[in-house]
Amino acid sequence: MIENTNAETIALEPDEAATQAPGPAATAASPAEPLADRVKRLESEGDVAADYLEELLDIADLDGDLDMDVEGDRAAVSIVGDGLDPLVGPDGMVLEALQELTRLAVYRDTGERSRLMLDIGGYRAGVRENLVKLARDAIADVRDEGEAVKLAPMTPFERKIVHDEVAAARLSSESEGVEPSRCVVILPST
Amino acid sequence: MLPEALDHLVRGIVNHPDDVAVRTRQQRGRNPHFAGRGETLEVRVHPDDLGRVIGRSGRTATALRTVLQALSGKDSIRIDIVDVDRRR
Repeated sequence: MIENTNAETIALEPDEAATQAPGPAATAASPAEPLADRVKRLESEGDVAADYLEELLDIADLDGDLDMDVEGDRAAVSIVGDGLDPLVGPDGMVLEALQELTRLAVYRDTGERSRLMLDIGGYRAGVRENLVKLARDAIADVRDEGEAVKLAPMTPFERKIVHDEVAAARLSSESEGVEPSRCVVILPST
Repeated sequence: MLPEALDHLVRGIVNHPDDVAVRTRQQRGRNPHFAGRGETLEVRVHPDDLGRVIGRSGRTATALRTVLQALSGKDSIRIDIVDVDRRR
């Protein structure tokens, strides 16, 4: 029971981990693991996830095709099709819930905590596009004004997209505040 | 469809899938808040899996409710999670 609780604690907020200090999630993508092994491991995560989700679609009589991919150090599974809005929900709430359950299903099967990313009906892709635009505008403001800009509260997944965009622009950023009001702050170059 | 969906979602995350059983109970107004609002889904799991299905701070149970609510298209659906040893 205690072991379970710990396992979930670590699996809970891994979305930002890639840009933050190496935490527990870093062990999952340890540099010691050969690339081929890692890809294989992530592909099998995708397979477990796809089985879990496909049967749910069957039961709910929803049409959707499953795409599996490996993106960097995590498995990515997308359900594509029309009429999937109920599975996304307001602000992606249902999508987040399904992603969480899917990660637990992978954990049950492989014994490893998963950072698998689930997308449904292109929702995350759309969010990503908007956030990249928002981040670029904020980066331009920071450059013009030479002052830090604090963005609105975001989920770990959203913050990661902004951090990545800031890093690509050769500026730095940090997160401050406590969930669910945690915000990205973009810092001016020194 | 909802009991099957819940059964599948829970079975996939527990260590004792064969012990998972879902049944539908009609509300009989025992809880005034939910009186007359239809069904409760009751999912029974192995005692060792109870923590896993509920999750830290009820996070997994909330995720299950969120997904089931989305599938049902209703605002309120009640899910009770109990272990197989508990008597009704």
